[in-house]
Amino acid sequence: MPGKTPGPDGGVSQVITEPASRENGETPADGAQTDDGHADSETGGSDFRGEDLVVGYPSSEQPVIDGASISVAPGEVTALVGPNGSGKSTLLKGLADQLALESGVVRLDGADIHDMETKELARKLGLLSQENVAPDSITVETLVEHGRYPHRDFFDGLTDEDRTAIDRAIELAGVDHLRDREVGQLSGGQKQLVWIAMVLAQETDVLLLDEPTTFLDLHHQLEVMEIVRALRDDSDMTVVVVLHDIQQAARHADRMVALKDGKIRARGTPEEVITEQLLAEVFEIDAAVERTPRGPRIEPLRPRHEADSDGET
Amino acid sequence: MASESTTVTDSMSRRRRAFDWLSESLWTVVVGSLLVIAGGTLVQVSNGAFSTTPVEAWQALVNPDVIFNLQSWQAFLLGGELPEMNRQSLIVWNMRLPRVIVAVLVGMNLAVSGAIFQAVTRNELASPFILGVSSGAGLMILLVLVVFSGATLVIPYVVGSLRLGISSLLPIIAALGGIGAFVLVYAIAWKNGTSPVRLVLAGVIVGTVFQSLQTGLFFFANDIGVVQSAIAWTTGSLTGVEWEEVRMALPWTIPVLVLSVISARQLNVLLLGERTASSLGMNVERMRFALSAVAVVAAAASIAVAGIVGFVGLIVPHMVRNIVGSDYRRLVIGCLFAGPALMVAADVGARLGLMVLAGSSEQMPVGIVTGLLGGPYFLYLMRKQDTMGEI
Repeated sequence: MPGKTPGPDGGVSQVITEPASRENGETPADGAQTDDGHADSETGGSDFRGEDLVVGYPSSEQPVIDGASISVAPGEVTALVGPNGSGKSTLLKGLADQLALESGVVRLDGADIHDMETKELARKLGLLSQENVAPDSITVETLVEHGRYPHRDFFDGLTDEDRTAIDRAIELAGVDHLRDREVGQLSGGQKQLVWIAMVLAQETDVLLLDEPTTFLDLHHQLEVMEIVRALRDDSDMTVVVVLHDIQQAARHADRMVALKDGKIRARGTPEEVITEQLLAEVFEIDAAVERTPRGPRIEPLRPRHEADSDGET
Repeated sequence: MASESTTVTDSMSRRRRAFDWLSESLWTVVVGSLLVIAGGTLVQVSNGAFSTTPVEAWQALVNPDVIFNLQSWQAFLLGGELPEMNRQSLIVWNMRLPRVIVAVLVGMNLAVSGAIFQAVTRNELASPFILGVSSGAGLMILLVLVVFSGATLVIPYVVGSLRLGISSLLPIIAALGGIGAFVLVYAIAWKNGTSPVRLVLAGVIVGTVFQSLQTGLFFFANDIGVVQSAIAWTTGSLTGVEWEEVRMALPWTIPVLVLSVISARQLNVLLLGERTASSLGMNVERMRFALSAVAVVAAAASIAVAGIVGFVGLIVPHMVRNIVGSDYRRLVIGCLFAGPALMVAADVGARLGLMVLAGSSEQMPVGIVTGLLGGPYFLYLMRKQDTMGEI
């Protein structure tokens, strides 16, 4: 695999807070976001991008994501943040081809993922959903084994390659000591690590994680983020992670994308995205932002109400 | 991390792990089931109008003249001329054993079918009949017996034509009715794809309507014989089955068994939920339909030879799951043994129960016995477990 991205300076990083959104909170549905000059896509990791995505659920008329473009820098951790209902999970599902796109296209190394055979896609792109269910009596190892599903044909047994991948995934997720335990006996945090091990056993280039830290205790939240970082550093994986906790995103992500009402409002490095103004606009809070060597630190102060936004700019 | 020490034992433990899933509990189920089947068989072959002692019956059963005679197997499995054999062997082999074999086949089919449907709908309370199979078959049985009983089917043949009384086609018509109802359920449930809940609801809808029609048809039956025959079919009975029924069920049972064993891994992945299965690259919709189709063929094969035997497909996967866990590689194999065990045992009860209890030589439909066993078993489970319904 070629070396890592030469630097974080590729054209991807400039903030494009759409000017229109500052005035009235309504972005004119636009092609303006497609313009990230993506000169540096020929680097390590996989090039993964969605163009002009319109994503919705069959049950509702109105699309949840209405014209978003996102290009994920290869070999980096990109965090999707936004308030509840902003469409970040929907966008992730659209990117993973788990929700049909109403329009737009998702490309992985240039190829439209919708045209790929499902198993072929699952060998390149892994998705861990927000909530996962497994029978209680299944062992950790067996669950992780299912991550090899896309690599096996209907009749195939486990090859040595499969076993190596399973062992490696279990080790990366740090659940070796749980290997023979039944999933039903594990704590929420342990379960999440096991599920991450399963998706790692898929051995994909791109990994999409939907709120992997929500509902976990602090220890397990940090464990998860440490795994994510290790994947980027050691395996040059391209990771897109939906995070509920914006502070966590600011601390651990290389890039952030902020969504509100199904539209992308800002993108760039945490320093660029996390501003008091953006927190007011997107998250509707007053907050103090402090620059620290470990990224911007957010101190939420109070919720903003509609009346607040009238008076101020 | 505790991983350094594992590298040494890795290659050894890997080899061991490959067959780890063949667990001790599975062997318990297999051996226990085989014992029940053997015991049930012995009881079945030694009882009947022509009385034999168990020893005589056993001798007749292991009669080498029959077992190692190609012609006798040809007669049993392909329907040729029976070779000469002594009277006891003739009774045991030709009249009593087929009933046990059919019970075994029906038990296998129903248990595996139930296990598959429980994975497809991700609901522990699913049975082979959850997607309308039993109601479709039941309606067709009533229609044939009550409305079209006198009809004959004329099939043009090379020389002349083949005339078949429609009643002789009842098993096939019943099975086709079940498959037809399943297709209808799928069509009703389909709306940009299906979901377990929609499938179950559609099954309830079709089941309710067909059940009503079926009950309504009973009013038009003017002959008690027809009603009794209809009841035997719709509750499931093994009375009077012969090698003919074995020949009917076997060609369907074998592929069903093979397919269910090799799809165990797919079923395991389906248990992780649609979203996970789909993100692992499974085409969930296609897989769900294919697996359901296998399960429906299994259910239809059992209906064709034994009518609609309730509860077996529901409780057997349940019992096996309680013992071996929910890994379908073990569960399917466990069902292939426990299903026949339950069915053979229940049929002993159906055949001899009234004789023991009331001294009557009448036989009950086996479906009544499985229902009598199934209800209390679920009561026991309900009291013991807090979480019913989840796999």
